[in-house]
Amino acid sequence: MQITIGQYFPGDSPLHRMDPRAKILFTIALIAGVFLADSALSYAVLLAFVFAAIRISRLSLKFVVKGLKPILFIVVFTFIINMFFTSGGRELVRWRFIRVTDSGLRAAAFMALRLVLLVMMAQLLTLTTSSIALTDGIEALLKPLSKIGFPAHELAMMMSIAMRFIPTLMEETDKIMKAQMARGADFESGNLIQRAKAMLPLLVPLFVSAFRRADELALAMEARCYRGGQGRTRMKQLRFTRVDAAGAACVAALIAVVAVL
Amino acid sequence: MPIEVKALTHVYMPGTPFEKKALDDVSFTVRDGDFIGLIGHTGSGKSTLIMHLNGLLKPTSGQILVDGLDLSDKNVSLREVRKRVGLVFQYPEYQLFEETVVGDVMFGPRNLGLDEAECRARAEEALRLVGLSDPALWDKSPFELSGGQKRRTAIAGVLAMKPGTLILDEPTAGLDPRGRDGIMNLMRDIHAGGTTLIMVSHSMTDVSRLCSRILVMNHARLTADGAPADIFADAARIREAGLELPPCAALAEKLREAGFEGIPREAYTQDALAQAVLAALEGGNP
Repeated sequence: MQITIGQYFPGDSPLHRMDPRAKILFTIALIAGVFLADSALSYAVLLAFVFAAIRISRLSLKFVVKGLKPILFIVVFTFIINMFFTSGGRELVRWRFIRVTDSGLRAAAFMALRLVLLVMMAQLLTLTTSSIALTDGIEALLKPLSKIGFPAHELAMMMSIAMRFIPTLMEETDKIMKAQMARGADFESGNLIQRAKAMLPLLVPLFVSAFRRADELALAMEARCYRGGQGRTRMKQLRFTRVDAAGAACVAALIAVVAVL
Repeated sequence: MPIEVKALTHVYMPGTPFEKKALDDVSFTVRDGDFIGLIGHTGSGKSTLIMHLNGLLKPTSGQILVDGLDLSDKNVSLREVRKRVGLVFQYPEYQLFEETVVGDVMFGPRNLGLDEAECRARAEEALRLVGLSDPALWDKSPFELSGGQKRRTAIAGVLAMKPGTLILDEPTAGLDPRGRDGIMNLMRDIHAGGTTLIMVSHSMTDVSRLCSRILVMNHARLTADGAPADIFADAARIREAGLELPPCAALAEKLREAGFEGIPREAYTQDALAQAVLAALEGGNP
């Protein structure tokens, strides 16, 4: 089981040191930038920027590309739909009812590229930001909304607990799977119904333990007097630094360029 | 049914920053009828090692032969291997899932493709063996049982597959002294019934009580393999592996230092040490 989206890759690059709030805002800005692009040149610039960012973050390119695998189907599907169902433009291929036009091909390529770019940008954020930093960033950004009754702290806490337990539950899944395999269980062969049935010996213990853990965690939080975010102070204050300023300048320049092209 | 482990090495997540060598060039042979205690500090590679013995993990390099079957051979059926080598994980009670106790114990035999009557017979036999002989318990939900009973049910679930070799990972973890004694007695009975046993533990006391052979793991390597008396004779190596001598062996060592030279190295259990001290006193030692 290899899930790279949402995984954190420890490191000490400028991207790792950037303030999480800045990184979240930059990612949103970049995503907006992707939707501004409408020429081959602007897409090339965006791609170059993303690759440069990967380089700076010292992540292995192979690892980032591997993270694209889960969306491969969606990319191919979007490409095909766009290729065949875009009207107008010069006709390139015609076979019975199938028509491929140059504008269709263009739209398809742009759409696929757009998806790839979006996922890569999101990955850059999650691979270089630990889940704690990420939720701290989200909480800080949502803080102003708490004035109108939005539960910013609770939402961030829920997110960080959920993220905190993903590796634990994966480990648990692996352990229970191995225990059942030692008893001769087979999770890999058979048709869909047989496979779904084979999941039962995995899912029942997993749910039981997830609820047990939730119970224990609630008790532990209460024992330490948790009562929401009111009046809570932080040991590690988030601070914008020069890296963030540099990042802001780069992102702003990029968006300006993409908008012009 | 020997298990041969040859130059076994296992690396977790190779090629990533999380890379970790969990086993480094480990070789040994499990002989029929052995009662092996596998000890080592936390993270020394014990659990990784035992998961290789029934094919749950694949070696990065090296070879494992179970009864002559090469586990890295693609034509060897893993089910066949798991029928021969049973593995009870740490806290096995967390793997229970069926609606009834007896149904859960039948899960293993069913996976072996046995018919319903045979599965039922094996399950009842296994449940009796682990001390849950009251049929009123069998149709209860496993989640209604006490902690110790749940653990016994889980052990029965593996025993019902009738493995020739049974491996238990920390079988006494988290039990009170009475539960601990119960599980230790159970293991003695299973071994007496002709099953080869491997018990993983970091408790020297548990291991010294029953095992006829001890393997010591330290930092992914197998650093000692021999009879308990020989292993305990080298106290320095045991401490180096982050472990302690069992209390009786430590006491025997102190007594020898204090002049009781006649106390043999084999006196590492409570009874044997008491006998040895008595003999030494009668013999006119200091």
